Amino acid sequence: MICEICNKNPATIHIQEIVNGQKKVLHICAGCAAKKSTEDPLLQGFNVAEMLYNLSGQFGLPFNPEPPHSHEHEVELECPTCGWKSEDLRKNGKLGCEDCYSTFKSVLDSALKNMHRGSLHVGKSPGETPDKSCGHIMLEIMNLQKELDELVQREEYEKAAVIRDQINKLKQDVNNQ
Amino acid sequence: MNTEISQLLNNKVSWLADCGPNDDIAISSRIRLARNLRGLPFPTNASPEQMKHVIATVETAVQKTSLKDELLRFDMEAIRAIDKQVLFERRLVSREFIEGKIPGALLVTGDESLGVMINEEDHIRMQAMRPGFQLGPVWDELNKLDDELSALVPYVFDKELGFLTSCPTNVGTGIRASVMLHLPGLVLSEQINAVIQGVSKLGFAVRGIFGEGSKNLGNLFQVSNQSTLGESEQQIVQQLGSVITQIISHEKNARRKLLESNQNFLLNHVGRAYGTLRHAYILNSEEALESLSALRLGVDLGMFSSIDLHTVNELFIIIHPAHLQKYAGKEIDSEERDVFRASLVRERLKNADKR
Repeated sequence: MICEICNKNPATIHIQEIVNGQKKVLHICAGCAAKKSTEDPLLQGFNVAEMLYNLSGQFGLPFNPEPPHSHEHEVELECPTCGWKSEDLRKNGKLGCEDCYSTFKSVLDSALKNMHRGSLHVGKSPGETPDKSCGHIMLEIMNLQKELDELVQREEYEKAAVIRDQINKLKQDVNNQ
Repeated sequence: MNTEISQLLNNKVSWLADCGPNDDIAISSRIRLARNLRGLPFPTNASPEQMKHVIATVETAVQKTSLKDELLRFDMEAIRAIDKQVLFERRLVSREFIEGKIPGALLVTGDESLGVMINEEDHIRMQAMRPGFQLGPVWDELNKLDDELSALVPYVFDKELGFLTSCPTNVGTGIRASVMLHLPGLVLSEQINAVIQGVSKLGFAVRGIFGEGSKNLGNLFQVSNQSTLGESEQQIVQQLGSVITQIISHEKNARRKLLESNQNFLLNHVGRAYGTLRHAYILNSEEALESLSALRLGVDLGMFSSIDLHTVNELFIIIHPAHLQKYAGKEIDSEERDVFRASLVRERLKNADKR
């Protein structure tokens, strides 16, 4: 998708606003977002980096019980295992230990979506023979999740709920394996 | 001199050896995997004691794999800065790794085709590298080493997110596959920017010869995957492979068109570069790389009967500062290096002519 303002760079920031029941969507690149943030009331007061960091809460999928949260209410997180802080993550974009992935889950979920083609691992597992690998289930979950995203966008929530339950069941299967 | 380093310097760099599919355009294929040990903080947040523990654990494990008989070992805390630089110029370690202040080690096979960096950004960064365009065999080789290691050390693995890495850009498969391409045709015909843009739109990164942040000196471009999550290793490698195939055919077209419609321009470009390399007495690395790129193009197009690709490939490595100083046998400053570089290049090309 190309930025709607400069028509040049890929759009990496997507802003959705509902005014009087009218949905307004804007797809723009980071550069134009920075420029626009000084003039557009919708973006005013946002620093692009902070905004990217923040999108996490707004992207919560229906099966994700976490409520959307804004920056003012965001708690500064700290990993109980290694002491890595939100600030450390913001500063160098890296994590401190394996448990940081659950500590910073709320932030990482959306960041990972922007970085990668999918949100679930479908590659090899350590010490597993290929037929025992759960790659195919993960692939199925990912396809369902894409379907779910589309249904949510079209506001077909009943159908979305069915897909959500399917996803949750598959995820359980994987974890019980 | 460190004996392991001198062993490397005597090597005919295997990933530059003059045989490999499509080696007129694809210089080398490389894949790396990022892995971490369970129960220890990532190197980004670990104590020196923990890092030393990681080195001992990983090294013991690697010594039990099928690589055990042919390993060279470099302790990053013990070797000299110039030796680190040699490893970097041979693309065995990253800049981040040699500049890091934490205890780290490199284990590499004598032919430099397989290596394991311990305590770079992740506990384990293993890489396999081969000349030309052959991602398939490179993946098979690295995958085998990974399988062997995974049976010996406990990897951090999450069922949903795969292999957990210090930087979330590597999570999932932890794979980064790349092919180094020499693209003078696309650069000379001014199509390179369009190609780079197209490739980036497909989600692949284009970088200079030494990776992140390096310039595209010598018309060398490294193309690699960016996404590591949501696709299998094979899918990622295959996709990169088809992108590379496309770029190679664009480059071939560009070269053919230049030969057909702009022959004098091309001959002049190559001839002048050869003149510079053969007769200059002061040669900085930028000019050397640009001229070598033109010479390589001339060799690819069959303009030189006496110079083979391997001579040119080797020059691409030995004109870098640390290698030059190794050949000079002493540390020399940048001005002296430009003089020594010129004499080394003249010598090599003269010898090639005599053969």
